[in-house]
Amino acid sequence: MSGRLVDNVLRLVGLVAIGTIICFLLTPIVVTAIMAFDSRGYLGPLPPPSLSLRWFQRFFSDDYFLRGLGVSAQLALLSVTISVCVGVATAFAVERMSFAGKEALISLFLSPLVVPPVVTGFALLLFLSHLGIIDGFTRLLCGHIIITAPYTIRATLTGLAGIDRSLTEAALILGATERKAFWDVTFPLARTSIVSGAIFAFAVSMDDVAVSIMLTDAKTYTLPVALISSMRANFDLSIAAASVMLMTLTAILILILEKSVSLNRVIGQGVFRS
Amino acid sequence: MQATQQAVIEFRNVVKRFGAVAAVDHVTFSVGAGETVSLLGPSGCGKTTTLRLVSGFEEPDEGAIEIAGESMVGKRPYERNVGLLFQHYALFPHMTVAENVAYGLKHRCWPKAEIGDRVREMLRLVRLQGFENRRPGQMSGGQQQRVALARVLATKPKLVLLDEPLSALDAKLREELGLELKQILTAVGSTTIVVTHDQDEAMSLADRIIVMNRGRIEQQGTPDEIYMQPRTAFVASFIGRTNWFHGKIVEAAGDGFSRFATDSGTALAIRNSSPVDGKKWSVCIRPERVTVTRSQDGSGKPGDNQLHGDVVDVVNMGAEFHYIVESPEGRIMVVEPNRAGARVQKGERVTLHFRAEDCVVLARDGV
Repeated sequence: MSGRLVDNVLRLVGLVAIGTIICFLLTPIVVTAIMAFDSRGYLGPLPPPSLSLRWFQRFFSDDYFLRGLGVSAQLALLSVTISVCVGVATAFAVERMSFAGKEALISLFLSPLVVPPVVTGFALLLFLSHLGIIDGFTRLLCGHIIITAPYTIRATLTGLAGIDRSLTEAALILGATERKAFWDVTFPLARTSIVSGAIFAFAVSMDDVAVSIMLTDAKTYTLPVALISSMRANFDLSIAAASVMLMTLTAILILILEKSVSLNRVIGQGVFRS
Repeated sequence: MQATQQAVIEFRNVVKRFGAVAAVDHVTFSVGAGETVSLLGPSGCGKTTTLRLVSGFEEPDEGAIEIAGESMVGKRPYERNVGLLFQHYALFPHMTVAENVAYGLKHRCWPKAEIGDRVREMLRLVRLQGFENRRPGQMSGGQQQRVALARVLATKPKLVLLDEPLSALDAKLREELGLELKQILTAVGSTTIVVTHDQDEAMSLADRIIVMNRGRIEQQGTPDEIYMQPRTAFVASFIGRTNWFHGKIVEAAGDGFSRFATDSGTALAIRNSSPVDGKKWSVCIRPERVTVTRSQDGSGKPGDNQLHGDVVDVVNMGAEFHYIVESPEGRIMVVEPNRAGARVQKGERVTLHFRAEDCVVLARDGV
C-alpha cells in the first residue's frame, strides 16, 4: 500500500515538474506575443490596455528591418540549396564507401554542431579576409553553408541508413545504371529525410546570430543581426513583432516537417523489415 | 568444347579474395540451358560470393566467367541480363506492384504497350492479377516473393539466380511456394542457379547440386548422387543425417566388396573398390537404410551387417520415427516411416541391419 502511495506522490511531483518546465518555456513566448500587439508607444505593464498592429506596421515600414529580412531570406534559400546538394552528395559518398577514418571524417563534417558558432564565425572572418573575400553576402553565405551542412548531412545519412542496400542492387541487375538507380530508388526513399534536413537547415540559417554578426558588413546584414543592433540603439516593440513572425514561420515549418515525417512512417511500414 | 557451346554460364578457375581469405577458390562449373543447379553449402562457403560474381556485384581476381559464351570481365550488372531474386525480395517500397514488375522492362527499353502486356502476363504467371496497384508493404511475404519473381522473369533473363528463395518464409508456406517456384521456372524454361544453405531447398528445386565448402567445390552431381554417393565426409555429413563408423579396410572380399574393421572391433561388409592400405577410413550409412528389429525376433536377411544395441530414445516426428540406438559403435540413428506406430520401445534390446551396398566408404577427415 505504501509503495503505491509513494508512486502516486512521485507521479504528482513529476506532473508538477513538467508543468513548471512548460510554463518556464512558454511564458516568455506568450509575453512576447502579447507585447507585439501592444498599442502603447512605450514599455508598459502587462496586460496592455488595448491591442493593435502598430509594431507590425512599424516593422514593415522600416527599411533597416526589411533589408535584413531580404538578406536573411535570400541567404537562407541559397545556403540551404547549396548545403542540401553538398549534404546529399557527402552522405551518399560516405555511406557507400568504407575506408579508414570514415567515422573521423563524419565527425569532421558534423563538427560545426559542437564548435561554438562565435568561434566558427571569427575563424571564418579571418580566413576569408586572408583570401581577400570581403563581400558581405559571400561571407555570410560561406558561414551559413558551414553551419547548415551538418543538418543536411546528418538527415541524409539517417535516411540512407534506412534503405536496404539490396534495393540499389535490384535496380542495377534489372538494367538501371548507377545514376538511374540513384534517382529511381535511393533518392525517392531518402527524400523525406532530405526534406526534413533542409527545413532544419533553413530554420538554423534564419535564426543564426553568432556566426552572422561576425560576417556582416554595413550594407549586408541578416534580420536577427538587424534586430539585435536596433534593440541596442533604441528599444521598441517591433522586435516583438518580428519575433512573432519568426515564430509563426518556424511553427509552419515544424508542421510541414511533422507531416512529411509521419508520411515517411506510413510509407515505410512493413517494408524495411531486415 | 561441345559443352561450352551449350552452357549458359561457365565458371573457369574463378578466384575471389577478400583480404587474405579466398572466398571463392578455383571454382569451375557450368550450367546448361534450361538446367536448375543449386549451390549448396554452409554460410561462409563462398556460395553467396559466387552469386555476386555471376550478377556482377563483385569482380573475380582470377579465372573467367562467361555467360552465353560472352566474357563477363568488366561488365556491370546492368549489362548482363541476369535475373536475381533477392533473399528479402528487395521490392521497391515506393512503387506499386506493376511498377516494380515493369522496372526492368523500362530500363531494357521495351515499347510502352508491350510493357503493359508483359506485366499483366507476369502477374498472371505468379497468380497475382488484380494486385497491380498495391504497394509491396501491403502484401504478405509469400505475395511479395511472387512479385519479386515476376519482376525477375519479366525481362526474360538468360540466367535466373535465386538467393535463398524460401528461407524468409515459414515452414508451411515454404513447401507450397517451393513447388510453385519449380513449376513456374519449368514453365518458362529458365536456366537457374539456386543458392542455399538448406538441403531440402536444394534437393527439391535442383536438377544438379554443387556442394561448396570453404570456397571450393566439394562435389557436383544429381541430388541422388550427392545423397547416396557422397564423395567426401563433408558432403556426407552436410547433406542429410549420417551414421559414422571409423576404422580400417582389412580384406578385399572381391566383387567390389571389402571387409572393414572398426576401431572398436566390429567387422562390417562394405561396398568398396579401394585397396587394403592400412589408412584410416570412415564408413557412413544413412539412417533410413538401417532397419531395426527386436533381438529375439531373429536376424534379418543373411549377408547384412548386424549390430546389437539398446534403444535409448524413440522420437515420433509424425510421418516418421527416429530410433536412437546405443551400440558398441556409439549412437546409431534409425529413421523409419510411421506405418503402424513405433516398432520397438525405449529400453529394448535390438538388432540393427544394413546392407553392404548402402555403406559408403570415405577418406577420414576432421568430421
